Amino acid sequence: MAVENACACGEKLSEEELLAKLDEVLLEYKDKPGALIPVLQIAQGMLGYLPETALKRIALGLNKPYSEVAGVVSFYAFFSTSPRGKNVIRVCLGTACYVRGGKNVLDALKHQLKIDVGETTKDHLFSLEVARCFGACGLAPTIAINDKVYKRVRPTKVGEILEQYKEAAKQGEAHG
Amino acid sequence: MKTPRLHMMMCFGTACVASGAPKVKEALVRELQKHGMQSDVALVETGCNGFCAGGPIITVYPGGTFYHDVTPHDVAELVEEHVVKGRPVERLMFRHPVTQKVIPCVKDIPFFARQCVRVLHNKGRIAAESMEEYIAQDGYAALEHALKMTPEQIIDEVKKSGLRGRGGAGFPTGLKWEFCRKAAGDVKYILCNADEGDPGAFMDRSLLEADPHAVLEGMMIGARAIGAKEGYIYCRAEYPLALERLDAAIKQCRERGLLGKGILGSDFDFDIFVSQGSGAFVCGEETALMRSVEGFRGEPRPRPPFPAQKGLWDKPSVLNNVETFGNIPLIIRNGFEWYRSVGTAKSPGTKIFALTGKVANIGLVEVPIGISLGEIVYDIGGGIPNGKKFKAAQIGGPSGGCIPKEHLNVPVDYETLVELGAIMGSGGLIVMDEDSCMVDMARFFLDFVQEESCGKCTPCRVGTKRMLEILDRICEGKGEMADIDKLQALGEQIKDTALCGLGQTAPNPVLSTLRHFREEYVAHIRDKKCPAGICAALVKAPCQNACPAGVNVPGFVSLTGEKRYAEALQLHRERNPFASVCARVCFHTCEDKCRRDTVDDSLAIRQVKRFLVEQEVTVQVPEIRENEVNAKKHVAIVGAGPAGLSCAYFLARLGYRPRVFEAEPRPGGMLVQAIPAYRLPREELAREVRMIERMGVDIEADSRLGRDFTLKGLREEGYEAIFLAVGAPTGTKLGIPGEELQGVTDGIRFLREYNLRGSVPVGKKVAVIGGGNAAIDAARTAIRLGAKSVTVLYRRTRDEMPAYAEEITEAEHEGVQLRTLIAPTELIGKNGKVTAVKCSPMLLGEFDRSGRRRPKEKNDAPILVEVDQVIAAIGQSLNASEAMDGIQVNLNKNGFFAVNPTTGQTNVEWLFAGGDAVLGPSSVAEAVAAGEKAAVGIDAMLSGEAHAFWREERAVDTKFDPEAEPVEYARAEARLIPVSKRKNNFAEVELPLTEGAATRECRRCLRCDFREET
Amino acid sequence: MASSETPKAGKISSLKDLQAIKERVLTDTALRADGYKVCITVHMGTCGIAAGAREIMNTLMDELAASGRRDIRITTSGCIGVCVHEPVMTVERLNSEPVIYAKLDANKARLIFREDALGGKTVSQLALGVGKES
Repeated sequence: MAVENACACGEKLSEEELLAKLDEVLLEYKDKPGALIPVLQIAQGMLGYLPETALKRIALGLNKPYSEVAGVVSFYAFFSTSPRGKNVIRVCLGTACYVRGGKNVLDALKHQLKIDVGETTKDHLFSLEVARCFGACGLAPTIAINDKVYKRVRPTKVGEILEQYKEAAKQGEAHG
Repeated sequence: MKTPRLHMMMCFGTACVASGAPKVKEALVRELQKHGMQSDVALVETGCNGFCAGGPIITVYPGGTFYHDVTPHDVAELVEEHVVKGRPVERLMFRHPVTQKVIPCVKDIPFFARQCVRVLHNKGRIAAESMEEYIAQDGYAALEHALKMTPEQIIDEVKKSGLRGRGGAGFPTGLKWEFCRKAAGDVKYILCNADEGDPGAFMDRSLLEADPHAVLEGMMIGARAIGAKEGYIYCRAEYPLALERLDAAIKQCRERGLLGKGILGSDFDFDIFVSQGSGAFVCGEETALMRSVEGFRGEPRPRPPFPAQKGLWDKPSVLNNVETFGNIPLIIRNGFEWYRSVGTAKSPGTKIFALTGKVANIGLVEVPIGISLGEIVYDIGGGIPNGKKFKAAQIGGPSGGCIPKEHLNVPVDYETLVELGAIMGSGGLIVMDEDSCMVDMARFFLDFVQEESCGKCTPCRVGTKRMLEILDRICEGKGEMADIDKLQALGEQIKDTALCGLGQTAPNPVLSTLRHFREEYVAHIRDKKCPAGICAALVKAPCQNACPAGVNVPGFVSLTGEKRYAEALQLHRERNPFASVCARVCFHTCEDKCRRDTVDDSLAIRQVKRFLVEQEVTVQVPEIRENEVNAKKHVAIVGAGPAGLSCAYFLARLGYRPRVFEAEPRPGGMLVQAIPAYRLPREELAREVRMIERMGVDIEADSRLGRDFTLKGLREEGYEAIFLAVGAPTGTKLGIPGEELQGVTDGIRFLREYNLRGSVPVGKKVAVIGGGNAAIDAARTAIRLGAKSVTVLYRRTRDEMPAYAEEITEAEHEGVQLRTLIAPTELIGKNGKVTAVKCSPMLLGEFDRSGRRRPKEKNDAPILVEVDQVIAAIGQSLNASEAMDGIQVNLNKNGFFAVNPTTGQTNVEWLFAGGDAVLGPSSVAEAVAAGEKAAVGIDAMLSGEAHAFWREERAVDTKFDPEAEPVEYARAEARLIPVSKRKNNFAEVELPLTEGAATRECRRCLRCDFREET
Repeated sequence: MASSETPKAGKISSLKDLQAIKERVLTDTALRADGYKVCITVHMGTCGIAAGAREIMNTLMDELAASGRRDIRITTSGCIGVCVHEPVMTVERLNSEPVIYAKLDANKARLIFREDALGGKTVSQLALGVGKES
């Protein structure tokens, strides 16, 4: 819990600073035609995602109804209102993996991470996605975490794999 | 500063960067410094070179030496050898995929040599971020020229060039410009669509990365033509490198006065801005794209008004795609006549394709419009890897469709593609091989469109969802035959009623697969089978799925691994009585689909079986269900080949007592008449025939349909059902002069005569004509019977020969000569005896409907092959009407019996047919499958019910540890007796594996049939 | 790349400006072209380098740059087995037999470049022989 608090607190501070920066951007773009999408892109580039606070600020700054801003954000796949995790887990559900229990692996991951496909854990450490074929069908089922492919993953071993990333994150924090 | 003597052109396209080009460059810089040669060599970062599968790529000038797959480890050698000593490093060069010959120079590599590079002329030749290098290749000369023309003259030139929009529908660009030019209003916009969203497409990205100035120049000329002062490039945010290069290029233009006021001393004012797309597929549609640039949800609106009247911010606007703009400077610089010199009359110029999927050379290619699909896939793409077969090409992405192998020869142009149900699209070309399921592919694209549907109009939003639901159902094995019509109707409806172009074309992938691959949908629905082995719910294990007879391969393999041989054999004979026969002559499609292949090599399934049948002491007869009612029914089977005998076998298991009539003195059909004993010892076949006889089947040999009995006669005798398995017993004639000469025979007659009578006249110099298994069997038989020389004449190449590859190899080992690309035109004789075969040299021409290149005459002098015997083995046929004595049986287009594919029933209720008599010459396993289906069909007709208990899948209780890593044994090698010991006799060539080798091989199985408990 | 161009970056305002850039850059990138009229090969085996082949190479590159010619190609190769005569170079004019020059130094190389490569006349007093290396 202590870790989570520290993390949230650190984020809050920087987020405020970033939002201040966003105001500068808004000032610059205020009167430009078609400014909304570039501003959203810049905002997402700064914050990593588009929290509601940012959207409200943008609506205000560009003098647009919040509904329009939210409508544009929901329309484009590039925009995300929740942050993507530090590690993206993709579970292969191609034929070979599917018949070899890829779905069970996915269920185990959902259970362990307490999130559904397309979501991110509260600590921002993991996002969960599904994918089709990594080309390692002989060693199904497979999952990929970032660029590393894990073969012959058992539902019971999912915890072990996740642990490595949790450990790495802790170490990173300690050093950082 | 010293002038560099070497230029290393390093591909810094997205793909090469991803595969490590920057690391290679770092290593090069370090290594050159070490030798003190950093100023001898210029390292030039170019845009995408197009050969994306081989990245990182370096081309070294002078000379144009092409290196691919370069890693940092290779750099020391590269510098030491090539840079210092001038010795190019062969190891890193391109090898011809077939001949394995090294091709050092970029311009000689077929992938590049066969292309027609115009728009991509600068790729890999100039530094992607250098405006001056672009100018050195005549860049901006077209703009300078255009500024001296009137806007009308520019439009006229573009119109005359015949350039059509490269983004999809192919609307004439000049016309589009003219509409906008003529539209009222002072403020006009020109836009460039770089929102390439199709899965598998990366043409626009590559052009922007390799040659951004070409696109800018095209836009400038367009702006001048329509009267625009501002332009927008709408580029996806997912293309960071393209965006970076564009920004840099625009900045350079502004700095040096090519954008801004009074460009090149004229009165032309113009500037370009980049607008980033944010990942909405629908924004590829022009009205949606303009809404997005304006900063709104990118939803399309109905047209008219067309953007040329009311576009961006309601002003007249022109939107063209990246590649279209890339063509403009070429047209203005070289004139429309030059431009029209390649391509077709209706579609001049070139088209860029992103070639992906199951093709050897994945990458970016530019070809003249009108080139055949086959040339793109085979000549440029290098064909299909891993010996698989081409199945279809998907062109045009989610709006496009599939072109099957029958149309490999059609010209790729706008009109032809639309006729075939695809579209040119922006240029995504995905090659699919036999392992691609077309239903699954249609589902994939529909899933994509469904997810990307903007939701504004109902047909697209709801219609595609309904279609997707149906496809999901079919892939899960829950489809109904009515679903096919439903898909068709829904698709047509969406096509007619959706609001925008993307919605209207969304059903295309489904409609085109329905058109060209209807039988695959039917297989999924009716047979609950996915022929490609992709749809998870329908495939237990790929090997079993691939076996025509449906043998439980992982089951008998794992039982063999546990030395439970009797059980293994019994399991095999659940679906196929001919375990011992198939252990020797099966085409083993199971091995072609074996998933172990992705680890090292496929499992040697046939060899495991060969070992297994050697262990059989008592014949393992499977379960028989006695049935007194069935035993009294009269069922006749005509033909004791594998199809007829299998039908008898499965009927016997249901308690019937069928009678089999065989025209020849010995049962076995082609197994005994055509297949030589060195491949299939006669006792092995006899043992399995005896087994069937002992199950209550009567075989009456020497009893020929038409001679000894008739169908009507059988009916009169009380036979309630008759199965026709008469094969395709007649050899096809050559149809050339001289066929009547003495010493000319056909393959089937030659083999039958020897195999049944024990002797056949054999010449000293024998020519066998044909490339199938019968041809090779005849050739190897002739060698064994003492022919001095045996030459196989085949009109295509060895790759196209239908005979099994291992048989061809062994034939060569035994001394058979192959002469390919040679076609007999006349048989020459003296005193009524054949003395020579006159042949035309051939070359491979266009693609025929079987997806193979059609041989055509080379116009060289004819070749005379001296012979004293000619064996023609070019095909087999059936004279179906001959023995029907007046019964009207429908035939299929090849002259064989037409039957219901699930039951084998003909149009006559009591008459069934199967095997070669339906399929034409085909494999033993297919004949077994046909016999089994007919047995089930006959039983259903007679009893009104389905009793095929062997079709129930039963779990095998062998041990398997899913946690364990796969064993690391290599594939077991076949053991053959030496050529010297087999050349003069008919002893079996192949020896069985040892027990150790066989059980090790069994453990290599990955047990794809194993299911997790859920 | 952009930064390296800035020093010479002036406004482009006419066809003449475009042509000037083209001429300059084409000279710099000439060796990427496919065709050439003269090919000079400096033999840079270990022996060649020890004997001073690098200096020959540098001299030739300077000469080439100064000449402005785009159809002369200078490459390297390994040892040709006449180590006692190193440094060695071969000059091959299109459609004529290659000439091997031996025991070179910078001055001789310069002379050969001007007389043979540019002037089209074999410098027979420095020539070791005529014919391709085998």
